[in-house]
Amino acid sequence: MSYLKAESIGQALTLLKESAPESRLIAGGTDLFLQEFPERLIDIGSIEELKWIEEKEGFLEVGAGVTHTIAGGSDLISDKATALAEACLQVGSPQVRNIGTLGGNVMNAAPAADAAVALVALGAVAVLMDKDKNIRRVNVDQLYAGYNCSAVDCSSELLLKFMIESCKSGEGSAFVRFAARRALALPMVNAAVRVKIKNGIISEIYLVAAPVKPAPTRLLKTEELLLGKSACEETWLKAEKSAAGEAEVRGSLLRCSADYRKHLVGILVSRAIQVAALRAIGGKEEG
Amino acid sequence: MSEKITISFTVNGENETREAAVGQTLLSFIRDDLHLTGTKSGCEIGECGACTVLLNGKPVNSCLVLAIELNGKELLTIEGLSKNGELDKLQQEFIDHAAFQCGYCTPGMIMSAKALLERKPDPNDEDINEALSGNLCRCGAYQEIRAAIKDAAKK
Repeated sequence: MSYLKAESIGQALTLLKESAPESRLIAGGTDLFLQEFPERLIDIGSIEELKWIEEKEGFLEVGAGVTHTIAGGSDLISDKATALAEACLQVGSPQVRNIGTLGGNVMNAAPAADAAVALVALGAVAVLMDKDKNIRRVNVDQLYAGYNCSAVDCSSELLLKFMIESCKSGEGSAFVRFAARRALALPMVNAAVRVKIKNGIISEIYLVAAPVKPAPTRLLKTEELLLGKSACEETWLKAEKSAAGEAEVRGSLLRCSADYRKHLVGILVSRAIQVAALRAIGGKEEG
Repeated sequence: MSEKITISFTVNGENETREAAVGQTLLSFIRDDLHLTGTKSGCEIGECGACTVLLNGKPVNSCLVLAIELNGKELLTIEGLSKNGELDKLQQEFIDHAAFQCGYCTPGMIMSAKALLERKPDPNDEDINEALSGNLCRCGAYQEIRAAIKDAAKK
């Protein structure tokens, strides 16, 4: 078993280039202890260049090494990508959030990882750099190859950051989840929404529920149904019915049956849309 | 055989330099190498919070952190709370409220509470619930735990 620590992106890439192919990147590593421990580790969790949160030319840039605690407590993220801050504050427990990172949350490729669900609903793009310093940009939902299996080969590529178009006036986002307990429980279902409302009409919508497929999945039929509809109670009921009908879910002996999960998808999607819509129109939230 | 790495760190205010194995958890290092057995081993998968310690002032599950991550950092365990034989106010309030039955979760609870009071000296019920949401007490002493933390905050 060997361990190498990278202090910069450049050093991480050099280590990737020089190390054996089975070397595995870790950033936080909280999920790693639940799996078979890799033989060779390259630790990128301390790289300061991966811990930035900034807004540039209308895009929020969030480093892959940002912890859930930092992301959840960031005023910039709360303001410009509310769903992401909400999701980060519901991951695991305070102890896990202090160590686990956004990049790790996505690369671990669990189908209903809270932060990943919010990132997909926000239309986030992942920026990756390979060993030869070539950059590629990929939508977060394209980073999944199967259940708990990332499409990114982390022996040759490094996830640098996420780019999210900042929510502007008339736009809002929200994240909700339902689990057996209010903390330290995997979600039966989680959902995130980004919506734009113009003159009381839904003009753009991204709607994600999980676990539906291996990746956090947009409910495209429901999105289409809602476009052009007015932001009102009748529309939320339509959203609930449509989302529950559209989601092809699996049951889980540990969490809940497929029927119950389907029902929850409808309820949670409807709740998330209502909160996001309220934020979009600058309405007052209860509680 | 796992590679060993020399790490330098501060534990409960004292500078230390030790060797740690690459795959070793911080929990195992604290208990087996530093012999600080106040930190408890519970689920070992980050769900119970019994092994909570403060790393650079932040609560973490020591079962989910590599010992070698301690290099260059400050570690505070339950043993580091009392000063000159005098208990920390949180420890004293836990005793005064009998905020436990079996006591196995107590060190972890107190470390999470310690971090909370450092960050928020006058927490409300919601703050306490949130700060302790990663610590389970199977005896169900939550009411007294909350009362102990509130009273400690007043001192």
